[in-house]
Amino acid sequence: MEIIIYGIINSVSLALMAVGFTLVYGVSRLPNFAHGAIYILTGYLTWLLMNRLGLNYLFSAIVALGLTGLIGAAMYQLVLIRVRGMPISEIIASYAIGLAILEGLRWGGLKGGTFRLPPFIEGSVNIFGVSVDFQRLFVVVLGATIMGALWLFVNNTKIGLALKGMAQDERAAMTLGIDSDRMAVVATAIGCMLAGVAAIVLLPLGSIVVESGYQVLIMAVAVCIVGGLGSWTGAIMAAFIIGFAQILTVVYFGAHFQVVVALLAIVVTLISRPSGLFGRQKELEERV
Amino acid sequence: MFEARGLMVFYENMLALNNVSLQCGVNQIVGVFGANSAGKSTLMYTLSGIMLDIVKKEEMAGRERITVRGRIMFNGEDIMFQKPSRRARAGIILCPERRRIFPECTVLENLKIGSYLATASQARETLDYVLEVFAPLKRILKRLGGFLSGGEQQMLAIGRALMAQPKLLLLDEPLLGLSPAIQYLLSKAVKDIRDHRGMSIIVSEQYARPIIPIIDYGYILENGAAVVEGGRQELMDNPDVKSAYFGT
Repeated sequence: MEIIIYGIINSVSLALMAVGFTLVYGVSRLPNFAHGAIYILTGYLTWLLMNRLGLNYLFSAIVALGLTGLIGAAMYQLVLIRVRGMPISEIIASYAIGLAILEGLRWGGLKGGTFRLPPFIEGSVNIFGVSVDFQRLFVVVLGATIMGALWLFVNNTKIGLALKGMAQDERAAMTLGIDSDRMAVVATAIGCMLAGVAAIVLLPLGSIVVESGYQVLIMAVAVCIVGGLGSWTGAIMAAFIIGFAQILTVVYFGAHFQVVVALLAIVVTLISRPSGLFGRQKELEERV
Repeated sequence: MFEARGLMVFYENMLALNNVSLQCGVNQIVGVFGANSAGKSTLMYTLSGIMLDIVKKEEMAGRERITVRGRIMFNGEDIMFQKPSRRARAGIILCPERRRIFPECTVLENLKIGSYLATASQARETLDYVLEVFAPLKRILKRLGGFLSGGEQQMLAIGRALMAQPKLLLLDEPLLGLSPAIQYLLSKAVKDIRDHRGMSIIVSEQYARPIIPIIDYGYILENGAAVVEGGRQELMDNPDVKSAYFGT
């Protein structure tokens, strides 16, 4: 029972970490390697707003998310737009931004366990004999809400549909009047905000440290590769597979093997099924 | 209303379009005919602005150097270096070669994505029209774009382009790979679209026969150059055109 409940929590956390990365990659074929840095940055911004300006928790979280969205948009508009179409440069540029943010934060004094976001609600509850704290429960609820909201957004709004079109065929979308650069800015901003949402709900479970920025990036990349780059259903499935695999290793082998599971999943996927579970293999290739 | 003058496109040193000039008046259907690699798609990409994106991507990736020269006038404005999305906003909509349906979206979603530039009421009204002129789509609105037959895909592609409220519709090889019966249906639909929706249409095709009855004016492209042009009857009477494009 413990395995199932904590497996679900862990899987949803992974899905939350990865969904922003998948969205950006799916829409603009841009691997945003600054994803983990943005995650930590949002947490840190929230902490700053709360502790330095004395704003209330919810308000500072919302302001921090807004700022993160702007940072994402600026990142695309100022830097990444210049290296579009050169995959290696895209990775290097976005990773460099991520490094700059993370190491900048470390240099600015972000270390140790002193930076903490409080949980939304203290306390815990018993589910089938397993005690789960409210924050973890909240992660699951919010994760499901975000996925649902994202689904509605993508399928029912003009911008959402345009993003969906862009993700499948950029040039066909262009012929319909969809501006690919503007959509990429929108996607990057939303992607960064999703990383931020993940940070705000997940960081209260631990403390804000630079290292978890790198770890989040690895997890996001692992989930996306296993699920098939750019596929949303794939990402969610992969989050559950890796999430449960991690919990099982924690139970039977030990906690320090967690990251190994993610990396191993990348290797196994790349060897056995390079395009991932739901990768864009040319299965639906047009029939003439 | 729409005029391209002296279009030249080079892929490295290979000349793909050689000084092509072309005009399309209000509510006219203009045909562009030519064999494979005559430059039809290059012409369509240049007119719609997709060529600018191709040029940029190729340059970024350090592949082919593509050079584009010439002028394209649309309602008195030179749009040669406008982005494709900007041209689409002005009303130039390309229905690309090989249809390029969004394969993982349903038919209805494809049409909805097409209505990105339309207002809600325009979208509703156009959707009704599209389902009327391409009635077979009505039964398969929930099917994924990738699982349609060639004819259905083509109907969807044209319908999707219509949703964007074109003033000038560019159809790149709409009959490619379709059976004669569907070719006939589609060319009739194209004429219906012009007659009832009031737009100019430039259509490129390899085979002139199914399209020529509906055009007002036509151009024959050979090796990137417009070698013959004329009205419908003129083209049909031209002995060279007859032997090359009608097979008689």
